[in-house]
Amino acid sequence: MRSHCAARAMAWSSPCRRAPPLIGYTLCPVERALFLSGNEAIARGAQRAGVRFVCGYPGTPSTEIVETAASLEGVHAEWCVNEKVALETAVGASLAGVRSLVAMKHVGLNVAADPFMTLSLTGVNAGVVLVSADDPGMHSSQNEQDNRAFAKFAKIPMLEPADSQEAYDFVAEAFALSEEFDTPVMLRTTTRLSHGRGRALPRVPVPAPELPYERDIAKYVMVPQNARRRNRLVLERLQKLRRRAEESPLNVLEAGTVDFGIIASGVAYQYAREAFPKAWYLKLGLSHPLPYEKVARLYQSVARVAVVEELDPFIEEQVRALGLPVMGKEVIPADGELDPETVFRALEPFLARRPPRRRRPVTPSAPRLATPPEVPAGLPVRPPVLCPGCAHRSVYAALQRHSLAPLGDIGCYTLGALPPLRALDSCLCMGASIGMMSGFNQALRRKAAAAVIGDSTFFHSGVTPLIDAVYNQSEGLVLVLDNRTTAMTGHQGHPGTGLRPDRSQGPAVDVQRLCEGIGVRCATVDATDHKALDAAIRAEAETPGLGVVVALAPCVLMVRERAGRVVVDEERCNRCGLCLDVGCPALAPGEVAMTLTDACTGCGLCVEVCRRGALTLEPAESRGA
Amino acid sequence: MNGTTTVSLVGVGGQGILLGAAVLAETAMAAGLDVKASDVKGMAQRGGSVLSTVRFGRHVYSPVARHADVVFATELLEGLRGLDLLVPRGTLVCATTRILPGGVLRGEEAYPDELAAAAAARGARLMLLDAETLAREAGNARAANIVLLGAASLVLPFSPDAWDHGLGAAVPAKILDVNRRAFALGRDAGARQEVDP
Ligand SMILES: Cc1ncc(C[n+]2csc(CCOP(=O)(O)OP(=O)(O)O)c2C)c(N)n1
Repeated sequence: MRSHCAARAMAWSSPCRRAPPLIGYTLCPVERALFLSGNEAIARGAQRAGVRFVCGYPGTPSTEIVETAASLEGVHAEWCVNEKVALETAVGASLAGVRSLVAMKHVGLNVAADPFMTLSLTGVNAGVVLVSADDPGMHSSQNEQDNRAFAKFAKIPMLEPADSQEAYDFVAEAFALSEEFDTPVMLRTTTRLSHGRGRALPRVPVPAPELPYERDIAKYVMVPQNARRRNRLVLERLQKLRRRAEESPLNVLEAGTVDFGIIASGVAYQYAREAFPKAWYLKLGLSHPLPYEKVARLYQSVARVAVVEELDPFIEEQVRALGLPVMGKEVIPADGELDPETVFRALEPFLARRPPRRRRPVTPSAPRLATPPEVPAGLPVRPPVLCPGCAHRSVYAALQRHSLAPLGDIGCYTLGALPPLRALDSCLCMGASIGMMSGFNQALRRKAAAAVIGDSTFFHSGVTPLIDAVYNQSEGLVLVLDNRTTAMTGHQGHPGTGLRPDRSQGPAVDVQRLCEGIGVRCATVDATDHKALDAAIRAEAETPGLGVVVALAPCVLMVRERAGRVVVDEERCNRCGLCLDVGCPALAPGEVAMTLTDACTGCGLCVEVCRRGALTLEPAESRGA
Repeated sequence: MNGTTTVSLVGVGGQGILLGAAVLAETAMAAGLDVKASDVKGMAQRGGSVLSTVRFGRHVYSPVARHADVVFATELLEGLRGLDLLVPRGTLVCATTRILPGGVLRGEEAYPDELAAAAAARGARLMLLDAETLAREAGNARAANIVLLGAASLVLPFSPDAWDHGLGAAVPAKILDVNRRAFALGRDAGARQEVDP
């Protein structure tokens, strides 16, 4: 072994290349092998996997994925305004039933982290694959972050192809996993894979399943009570994925002829393989979650094990946590790129040493979960509700007259997703609604979804996806629920109001003028004027293209004077309960008729739904006269 | 646990649970004790179930505890839910106020009626007060939280001075008088209920 290694060490100038063995696939060469970069292979792999929507934001080394996809038949490709919007747009397309792939460089995932982390909880409809192209060595990046940590952080599966063929093949694997396990999947590449080129045989296409959109509020609206249950599913899913990683042909134990094993993934596997051709390998294609038993099997076969990985000790730390002795970052550089010679020189002295004592791995048992799988039956639950007189309720009443899927955002208005309104289909993270709407409508090629977003949220992260929708000519109806405050968190100011934390007044940005400035049709309407609101929403819902309706009405909690009060005609009221569907907590069934508590602000929404004319609005002026 | 007393305040968002907790915490501090309090704010404040916990003693470590010595409920159903938080022989101070949750309003669920029986079954001491009427008597129906605090003061180890200091420190000056009256009315009503003190 030693002399062989030494001989190889001298041969670095012209290392003999041998193609890594192809694993677990039936070859179906419908064409001749192509010579593709990893990025080109990913784009073609996406086309093969029936992906119809590819988007991203440019950044080395990820850029060519979207560029290549744009040239492929049957694939719609978009540059988005940024990575967060790109991911949200891909999620929208997935909801609409289209497999979608979103590509970005490593730091792009920092920008997309908000939707990314919660997407793990909601899961997907059609598969969603996020390609993170990392840049060890910082060839053209401002940092060297190792995005494998993100897969662990979000508790989602990660695939790491090691050459162009795998880059091509793994895309279909990733989509299958995404749909089977109801999870976004991360496909991680690095510069050498993305920009390196190699042979890739095209395979027969795999048809994407038909997955038409079905609203599922408990799955897609991440208010706390739903998110707790989804989070439990995420933790259970991780256990199932680990079992899959144990069985998956993407994780191969390759027998060697010396008493030395290497665990590696991605291009680092190639470096190691070339440096130590006689070693045993655990090659991880599905590298997160780590298959503990396969690791243990490697340790049964050899006494010395090393992990060869670029950047962080991601695999190494997990192996150490199993109580197993391993060689890693004390010799393999923790920064920059590796190459076969570096790997060889780092590990060669290790092989001369006496092997460590054999140990059995101590695999952790499945974690205990505190949240019960189902809400225990018992006392009636009391979820939060929209306040009496809240103008958000009027917007939902108007929007529900149209068949647009109402995709949402975070704020008080998210409460509109709860019964009895059930007026909001999604809540992923702040600012997600508009990008999701774009993706949804692009995927279906019609105006099928609307976005519902609060004023504070609009300024937080709603402007960029609106610009994106203009640029990509997405259709849609955006409802900005302008209650002149950040109500959910306790009435803070924001750029639309100009109010600062010390209560001083700064300049205020006008939503309507902002929209007009970026070339979006926009109408501002008084949300307490239900007829006008209805007309504005109708006009926009029925007009093709992109439009914004600003529903303006200050938060009722900030308004001192009330519009009036609703009174009940006890003769006419038969307690049919139609008014209760408005979901106003000021209304309750009494002994003989509906009753209204003091909390009624006189918004009049219940008056409009009563078919018996039993409810009338007494305007404030006439009261007490 | 460890000489620390735990009081849980439960109710419906908007009923002044946070203020009740603040008064209690200020009172305990005025009495020279270590205090930790923990509120859940945000979405829950919009008419959902809310829970605040105040813990006091010579030295308080954890800001939360699974069980409370005293549960203070501004609404009947929340009081019933709060029984689960109570230590075996603890005290539940509860308002007779009913606020029907959406599921009950729509007839999908029934508003439970078994508070007294449930409290008895658990060996809990129950003080049931028409806090809203008393608060109205004091000058403002919204002071029901402080009425209950007055009643709860009977089972908490603080001097009238400490309570008065707590009220003064936590309640906005504009409504302090109303709340002082509410507190006194609650304490009197509670005393009338004391069966075996
Ligand atoms: C990234 C992020 N930052 C902050 C929050 C907390 N948060 C939730 S909703 C919201 C804003 C709500 O304001 P708005 O959109 O105006 O809706 P409103 O509550 O007034 O109806 C904030 C700041 C969050 N969920 N996510």
